[in-house]
Parts: sequence; C-alpha cells; structure tokens
Amino acid sequence: MARPASRATPLGVPLGVPLGAPLGVPLAPPHASVIHRWQRGVSVREVPLVTPWFLLFAGFFVVGTAIAAFRLFGGSLASFAAMTDVYAWGVWKTFNVMALTALGSSALAVGLAAWVLGRHRLHSVMRTALVTSFLFYTTALLGLLTDVGRPWNFWNLRLPWRWNTESALWEVALAMPVYCALFLLYENGPMVVEKLWNARSDRVRGWVRTWHPRIRKTYPFVVPFAYVLPIIHQSSLGGLMVLAGHKVHPLWQTDLLPLLYLVQALICGFGSVIVVLMTSCLVWRRPLDVKVLGELANLMSWTTLGWLVLRLGDVVVRGRVGDALAMDAFGVLFLAETAAVAVPALVLRSAHLRETPRALYTMALLACLGGIAYRFIPTTLAYAPGAGSTYFPAVPEIVITLGLVATVVGAFSLVVKRFAVLPAPLESWHHAVEHDSHAHPSHRSDAHGHAVHD
Amino acid sequence: MILLSRRHLLRTVGTGLSTAAVGGAAAVAAAPAALAAPRTAPADAVGMLYDTTKCIGCKACVAECAKVNDLVPDTELSGGLWQMPADLNTQTKNIIKLWADPATGQTSFVKRQCMHCVDPACVSGCPFNALQKGALGIVGWDGARCIGCRYCEVSCPFEIPKFEWKKFNPKIVKCELCRHVLDRDGQPGCTRVCPTGAVVFGRRTDLLADAKARVAAHPGTYHLDHVYGETEAGGTQVLYLSHVPFEKLGLPALPDRSVPTGLRHGGVALKLIALPVVLYGVFLGFFRRNWKVHEEEAARLKAEKGLEEQL
Repeated sequence: MARPASRATPLGVPLGVPLGAPLGVPLAPPHASVIHRWQRGVSVREVPLVTPWFLLFAGFFVVGTAIAAFRLFGGSLASFAAMTDVYAWGVWKTFNVMALTALGSSALAVGLAAWVLGRHRLHSVMRTALVTSFLFYTTALLGLLTDVGRPWNFWNLRLPWRWNTESALWEVALAMPVYCALFLLYENGPMVVEKLWNARSDRVRGWVRTWHPRIRKTYPFVVPFAYVLPIIHQSSLGGLMVLAGHKVHPLWQTDLLPLLYLVQALICGFGSVIVVLMTSCLVWRRPLDVKVLGELANLMSWTTLGWLVLRLGDVVVRGRVGDALAMDAFGVLFLAETAAVAVPALVLRSAHLRETPRALYTMALLACLGGIAYRFIPTTLAYAPGAGSTYFPAVPEIVITLGLVATVVGAFSLVVKRFAVLPAPLESWHHAVEHDSHAHPSHRSDAHGHAVHD
Repeated sequence: MILLSRRHLLRTVGTGLSTAAVGGAAAVAAAPAALAAPRTAPADAVGMLYDTTKCIGCKACVAECAKVNDLVPDTELSGGLWQMPADLNTQTKNIIKLWADPATGQTSFVKRQCMHCVDPACVSGCPFNALQKGALGIVGWDGARCIGCRYCEVSCPFEIPKFEWKKFNPKIVKCELCRHVLDRDGQPGCTRVCPTGAVVFGRRTDLLADAKARVAAHPGTYHLDHVYGETEAGGTQVLYLSHVPFEKLGLPALPDRSVPTGLRHGGVALKLIALPVVLYGVFLGFFRRNWKVHEEEAARLKAEKGLEEQL
C-alpha cells in the first residue's frame, strides 16, 4: 500500500495520518504512515486568533450571556424557560450539568490512567483534558446559576451549619465549584506559569521563579484532591435521580445510578478527549499520534465493557429484561442508548481499528453521544412518564444552552492558540520556541542567562 | 521507565496507605451507621385523616385554606368569578378533586395537600435544609435557606411542592399544616371548617387508631381495608381511607421503605470523612510514586533534549 503523501503544514511538519483526506481516499494503515510521537504541548500559532468560526461561537456566547443576565437580574424563570412543576428541571441542569460534565470528566479519566495506572504516554494529552474539563465545568456552573430561582441564597454554602450533608445536591453544590475553581485551576496553573515566563518581563520571571518550584513541590499532595472531588460529585449526580424514586422509569431507576453515572463519566471523559484531540488536529492540521489515541480508545473500550456488565447485570437482576425488550418507546430508547456505547466498545477491541483515525473518531463520537444520552434520559425522557405534563425547552433555554456549549468551543480555541496545550512532536516545540525567541521557564536561567538552582 | 528501588517504593506508597488506613479506621468506626434504621414519626407527630366516604365535596376547606394562608384565590378557570383551581398551585395549598368512572358510575372526592411524610424525600434532598421537619413533624419551608433549585419538586413522590415560576423572588408553596395558627386555633383551617368530619386533625397515632377502628366497623367498605399513609414511602402523617382504589385518587402505590432510607447507608461519617480520606490516601500513594517516575523522566529529557517536562 502506498505511503500517504506528506503534506507540508504551516509548521513544516508533515501530516502523517491524513485524517482530513477527502472521503473516498483510502486511508493507509497507521503503521505505513510517519509515526508521530506527541511529546509536548505546543500552541497553535500559525492560525489567527479571530476567525469566522470563532466569531460565530463568540456570537452565541454573547447572545447566551446577555439572555442569561436578563434572566438573573430581572426576570422570572417563567419568562425564559418552559419548565413546569412536574418537569422542574430543564436543560440547564439536565443537559449542561448532568450530561455535559461527563464530557468534562476527561481530566479525571485521563489523569487516573496517567497517574494511577501509570500510562505515562498519556501525560502528553493531559493539558488538553484539563482545559476541556475546566471549560465544561465552568459553563455547567454558569448554567446552574441561571437555573436556580433564588441564587442569592447560594451564600448558604459558607455556613456549614446550614449544610444538609445527606443531600446529593449539596455534595454537587459544594464539590463541583470547589473542584472547578480550586483544583482544576491549580492543575491548569503550570501552563499559565509557563506562558508568563514567555512574557519576558524580569519582574514576571522573578515571580515565576518563586512560584514554579512551589507548584511542583505541592503538586503530588494537592492533585489527589482533584480526583477525590469529581469521583464524589459525579456519583452524586447519579444519586440525584435515585431520590425521585418511582418517577424515573424502572429501566433507569436503580440504586446503582451513582456508580453507573461515575463510570459513564470516565467513558465520556476518554471519549471527549479523543474527539477533542482529533477534531483539533483536523481543524488546525496537526499530526496525530495513533499510539496515544489508541491507548485512550483501549481504556475507553475496557471501561465501557465493565460499565455494560454493571448496567445490563442490574437490568437482569432487577427483572427488567421484559421492559428492555418491550419495543415500546422506553425499550427502544434503552436499546439505542446501550448500543451507542456497546458498539464502540466492541469495535475498538480491534487494535487495527483503534489506530485507524476515521473508525476511532466515529466510534469515540458515538460513545460520547451514548454517554450523554444515558446521563440525560433518566432526568427528562424517562422521568415522570405519564404525569400528564410535557416539557420541551423554550427558545431562551435552548439559546443559553447553545451559548454555553459555544463558550466551551470558542474559549478552547482561544486557549490552545495562546497556551501550549495541544500535543505535538518535539520538532514543533522547537519551532514554537524559536517563534517566541525565548527560553522555556524551567530552564531556570535568569534574565541574564545565569543558571538558577533550586 | 525508571524502576524504583523496593525501599523507595515502599516508602512512597506507604505514606498513601497510612493515610488510607486512617480513613479505613474511621470507616470501621462508622460501620454501625451503615445499618440505617427506617425513620419513625416523632411521638408528638400531628396529621390529618381524610375519609372519602364522608366528603361531600363542598370545598369549604379549599376556601378556608386560602383565607388562613393569605393566598389570593385562583379564579382563572371561572373567569374571575369564584375560586376554581385546576390543581394544586402557588395559590392553592389544598384542593378537593373529583374522580369519576363513566363506565361504572363510581365517583369519589379526594382532598390533596402535602402528606407530611415521616421521612420526606424533599427534606432529604434539600441542599441547605430549607425544607425541614419541624415541631410536631410538620414539613416547613424556610425562604432564607432556599436556593430555588426545585429538587423538592423532583423528589416528592406526591408532586406536592409548587414553585412560583412567574416571580423574581420565587417561593416554594405547599401545605404547612397551618403551623402559624396552630397555637391560636388548635388545628388547621381545613379541618376546622369541614362540616362532615371528612377530614380531621390530630396526633398521628390517634388518627391511625381511629382509621383502623373505622375499617373494623365497616368491613369491605374501604379499599383493601388499608389506611393509605400508614406504611407508604415509610409512612405519612396525613392518612387516607378510600372506597375506591388509591391510584384513582392520584395516590401512587409506593414501597414501604422510604427512598431516603435506601440512600442513608453508611451515614455521614463514612460518606464525608472515611471515604474521601481513603480515596485521598490511595491517590496520594500513587501520585507520589508516579511523581518520582515523572521526575526521573523529566531529568532524562532535559539531559537529552535540553527541555523541561510540562505538567
């Protein structure tokens, strides 16, 4: 089979795997292409910051934020949302918080693989995962703020004697902002510190020289919190619907919801980092590292198989197989949702397909959709069936939700263009360093070139 | 990959495991709490007993409820003429509804309001204790604590709490057993004005005995000879006797165990202290070990390529 022709990119790096090849062009097997090892985060410098696509996302952001501000500072929920007393939770909670923070669990999933399972190769995609997580969580919290009717009382969070420690929602209300505002920011810190060094100001560099070692010293002690917290609140999100009892359809209602939500967050975390990486490489013409992507896919596939054992085992043990095969709306929904995660898990057992970009991309996308569906359905579609009330989000609800998603995409594109986030081979790092014509912070030489020792 | 010496490995993992052990000990200490017993009603719990065979549907209770609770009567359906709520809503904490089966001609009235559960899901889920079981077991709402998340509406098995969607300062509206006038009147407005004794107020234990006596006195009259609320969802302080199936009146068949009981395994000590500490300890062990590996690789990268690692 012919080796794919190398196309020069603005970085001067050949595109080894032609992900963006037009449809119909046969893809070369990965081993036939140039093998690119992702080694370092490198900013996307060759593309302008503001592009038509960016303006589109920014537009959604502005419109969504404006409407959300109107709602927060001068409007009742009724004038912005279609929620009812039966469907008291709308898409801001059920989609932005319950479903999309699963995609935002990439830092948890990749971090567990890299730091706990010792898959050291995955450190190269950690920054991508961290930025993605931070953005999904931030927008989820903004959605939550828009959603609650009496947001001024959020200050109760500062009065521990008012906490209801029994409430899963209290866990979410406490753990989610703390995780996002403290630990995700801390984990994203080294990237910012590195950038500050590049500002080439002696004062800033002095500051970096003080703080960089401090971050490194505290890192292994602080970062474990960034794994404890999401494990707690991602399972609590599942616990939320357990309290709704008989109002959630029996195919979804189970005491295992917390565990199933948590494991689904890991699946979606792996899935979203694969989709984000591959989309970024496609859009900004970066080479792919099929070995790293394949490893992520392998982990996603195994996690999904484990999840399926829990999910299907639970349905069998609770005697709900009949409901699953009833071929009514709920049965079909269950089968579709399960297939959407089961098919990628099985397909990606093939090492060859794991390293075939198009198959991997399709399957990771499908798994993300299935995961979102699983986390969304018990809150809305399978919630209060037959209660004689319907809910379909109102236009402002949809616009705000889309605005939050657009914020994730737009802000991600800004961050990767200015910070060393997306992974790239070493040679592109050298290119980036030349571009900035400065040394890397941790070279530990001061502004006059003298070596600095810890 | 740089291999660590055995001693090194033991030391780094040991730190984490000892932290985990502290949490583990706490877990063992908390173990008795794992067998969370179902909650029972407080000894002085009050409630109401409603009997469908005695209700004539006069709605005096609906009118009085609005009066005692300073609610603007909902006149929307009647074109502004008289109080005519379609269902419980933010202007209506108490309602009389009619169920009729055209096929058999069977009918029944039903009075709906908060059931004041013995172990309420709304209270269990409320993040800042805005809904709490207060004196006499009455489930009351505190506006200073409520963030308006509406988890009470999601969790209530009876669909009782209502949210003021149209207001900028929305409240949760539901029956609070007229707790603000109990000292003065001795009972809620609805039971005070009921002309037939279809709904009566009293201690839950007395009401339950009364209900059982009625069932015994009139065998076959009441559906399943059962007092609804004695055991449903862990028990409710408002009890029902009905001559038609409870489901027809919107009272769902619910398991005896309250949903919060099932969520309470382990207790706070296990959930908030032991589990996080164990997790932190385990992660700390792994992070410290892999941090060393990371550092070694970083040093090698720097020596070979002149580059620092990126966190």
